[in-house]
Amino acid sequence: MQDLYIAPTAETPEVAFLFSEHKLTLQGESYPENAMAFYAPLRASLQSYLAQLSAQHPLEMHFSLKYFNSSSTKLLRSLISLLNDAARDGKQIIAHWYHDPEDDMMMEFGADLQDEFGALHLNVTPYEPA
Amino acid sequence: MNLTSFSDFCAQAVKEGMLFYYTGEYSKNVIAAMSDTLRHRLESTSLSAPARRKIFSTFVEMSQNIMHYVDPDQDGIKVGALAVGHNQGKYYVMCGNPIRVEYVDRVKEKVEPLRSMTVDEIKSAYRAQLRNEDHEQQDTLSKGAGLGFLTVARDASEPIEYQIVYRSERQEYAEFYLRAAI
Repeated sequence: MQDLYIAPTAETPEVAFLFSEHKLTLQGESYPENAMAFYAPLRASLQSYLAQLSAQHPLEMHFSLKYFNSSSTKLLRSLISLLNDAARDGKQIIAHWYHDPEDDMMMEFGADLQDEFGALHLNVTPYEPA
Repeated sequence: MNLTSFSDFCAQAVKEGMLFYYTGEYSKNVIAAMSDTLRHRLESTSLSAPARRKIFSTFVEMSQNIMHYVDPDQDGIKVGALAVGHNQGKYYVMCGNPIRVEYVDRVKEKVEPLRSMTVDEIKSAYRAQLRNEDHEQQDTLSKGAGLGFLTVARDASEPIEYQIVYRSERQEYAEFYLRAAI
């Protein structure tokens, strides 16, 4: 499957879905006015990649988002949900959710995802202060 | 407005700690320019990163509400007002926009309960709405995740305030004002 790269903008994160290396990264900020338009294609390509991912290949996914708006929130959760489904089906997935070490609310957000998506190996980690 | 009223207006804004105020056409470009301005202003303060995130987040949610829900006027323009300031040790973000009279109750039903919730209740309502897979079917007027007001309330440090103002010029519209202190 072709790798997917989208350069960051002020309102959208950098997308580096290196399917060939089984390493996917979302990094930056996410507050597009139309979050669905941005995330629907990402979700679709993640979905088809996961469908063909063999249980032998471990996948790493990194979410490193400094800020995301309310409509992005739900769509980010839906990406995690896809990973959780695939993990439940026996695929080897490690996801990393990075948050500002000072920001309790963002840490709780990651912890909530851990609670909700129990099949997925999800690390909630403070990112290094800039 | 004459110069005397304008200077009074400016003096009042300074007195109330206003960082910036905008009223008029809302567009993608206007929001982008305001975002840049607000970011620069916030970076020059000694605020913590989470506090800056909360102020910026409140600004984004309010601005996007205006873009999503305000009806264009006869010239096709969406009009809204937004202010950010610092007063009595807190930052505030306020917005104002026209709202169709028939939607007033809908907005009140969304905002009013948030005013009396504790922080934990807001967090758990936020969590429930985040996990609500039926939001699109339940609320066909919503253009997002149904998390906008909850996000504003979650990031605020005191109950959010709102006002509905009826003016006579356009009878089918009221004005909706919202204020969050961070």
